[in-house]
Amino acid sequence: MTVTERAPAPTSDRSVLARRQAAAGRTFVAPNLFAVAVFMVFPLGFSLYMAFQKWDLFTPAKFVGWANFHQLLTGDPLFAIALRNTVVLTVGTTVPTVVISLIVAAVLNRKLKGIGVFRTILFLPLAVSSVVMAMVWRFVFDTSNGLFNIMLGWIGIGPVPWLVDPKWAMFSVCLVSIWKSVPFATAILLAAMQGIPDDLYEAAKMDGAGEVRRFFAITVPLIRSALSFVVVISIINSFQAFDQVYVLTGAHGGPATSTYVFGIMLIQNAFDFTDIGYASALAWVMFAILLVITFLQLRFSRRNSLEQ
Amino acid sequence: MSSLTARVIKLSVLRALALYTALIAMAWCALFPILWALSGSLKNQAEITEPVLIPPHPQWANYAEVFQLMPFWRMFLNTVLYAGCVTAGQVFFCSLAGYAFARLRFRGRDVLFLAYLATLMVPLTVTVIPQFILMRTFGWTDTPWSMIVPGLFGSAFGTYLMRQFFRTLPKELEEAAILDGCSPWQVYWRVLLPHTRPAVMVLAVLTWMTVWNDFLWPLLMIQRNSISPLTLGLVHLQGQYASKWPVLMAASMLILLPLVIIYAVAQRAFIRGIALSGFGGR
Repeated sequence: MTVTERAPAPTSDRSVLARRQAAAGRTFVAPNLFAVAVFMVFPLGFSLYMAFQKWDLFTPAKFVGWANFHQLLTGDPLFAIALRNTVVLTVGTTVPTVVISLIVAAVLNRKLKGIGVFRTILFLPLAVSSVVMAMVWRFVFDTSNGLFNIMLGWIGIGPVPWLVDPKWAMFSVCLVSIWKSVPFATAILLAAMQGIPDDLYEAAKMDGAGEVRRFFAITVPLIRSALSFVVVISIINSFQAFDQVYVLTGAHGGPATSTYVFGIMLIQNAFDFTDIGYASALAWVMFAILLVITFLQLRFSRRNSLEQ
Repeated sequence: MSSLTARVIKLSVLRALALYTALIAMAWCALFPILWALSGSLKNQAEITEPVLIPPHPQWANYAEVFQLMPFWRMFLNTVLYAGCVTAGQVFFCSLAGYAFARLRFRGRDVLFLAYLATLMVPLTVTVIPQFILMRTFGWTDTPWSMIVPGLFGSAFGTYLMRQFFRTLPKELEEAAILDGCSPWQVYWRVLLPHTRPAVMVLAVLTWMTVWNDFLWPLLMIQRNSISPLTLGLVHLQGQYASKWPVLMAASMLILLPLVIIYAVAQRAFIRGIALSGFGGR
């Protein structure tokens, strides 16, 4: 193709061909572009527009300037609560996910008999929808009938109100989020580990590096970009968590406000209170926080890899 | 010498033992909630509190009760319809656009593709409210259209995925066809598409699963049971019969089963798709 384009004097045949290709290219992209424009780009702009309006879906919208943001950041006690809960959920999911999935991926990366069976089992939670997952875990957590409390009963520990007590509810939600995100993180880390050439390990072995040393000196630095990707995705997902919270502890992030996270706050403001402008402002605050975190994370991991 | 060999063998046996123990423990952590739910789905209301994994008298009647308490098959067909339409649409329109972005030259192509990549950064959080308002404006809330049309004509993520794959195909494949006078459509449909099976599988499995498991969008869109997907039906069932654990678990298992089958059949495409979906935002 490049040769034909560099030909000094394109014959008319070639230009007809090029024109036909260009026309086809535009036609082939058109339906897709239409969908992306209507369902992604327009909503993005419209959401920003709405963030500066007061609108309840029924009466005409009214421009209010920065009032929504002002109210959100200075006048709404629930914002601080949601921020705190969301940070707890995000950190409480991301940190254990990264640690556990590193270990699981390292073990799954072994050439052992039957390792394929274990991979199949360990990745199975990927197929479970967040609703079914939350339903199944509700059963595990159930105060009087749940598996956890039955097992705790054997060692003489009284029933723990996993989802009923505000002190425990967020812990339980984190546990479920970890269960769901570890297989995802493991899949990415394992793929990265499988790309490391064996002779690197052989050379280190010759030099007398032990197993743990090899893991931290070879494996971890070489999968750094995958690791950073896992961190970013885990943060993005848990920061916007909705489904599992909704099913585990209800539409209002209960008990009390113990699991009241941004995802719940957003849907509640938009659809229970039909305060579309306020909810849009919240969406943009969330987007801004996510952008800053992603940017910092990328810079941080890049600087680290430069130092290497 | 022989005692050294014996020690080395003993050590490696110990290590293998430790590794298998770790693997079994991990597998148990991944599986126990599902196994416990499966076990619960076969117990009666009294046995629920008993710590037995294999119920002595499996209560298949729990599954029959699911069909009585919720219009399961109706919702099953709804979900198949939504997932099927969106998957077919995504595969067709994303591969078509992916081919154009990878192989056809037209003005503005590369800028447009960059814009596509930028939209991958936009979180669901920002777009969900305007999308709802869009559906409301079209009069599509509480209709099947709201479940099908937004995903039907493709997405930035799917296009990105397909474009990357088309770029890995050798150019010789299509050059002969172009010289023979094939139109771009014929090159796409007859020559290249048959070679994109791995990528198509990934996109199809991933799309099917996303629609099958989606909860927030149907929660906002759908009121009527008759057009409700399974996830929404399950949450409604739980709202009505919160303490009927055996039935709730039976319903959960029924919703899970089709995806487990897909997982078993197309594990590789499934895991690759999940790993790639990080880019997709959902």
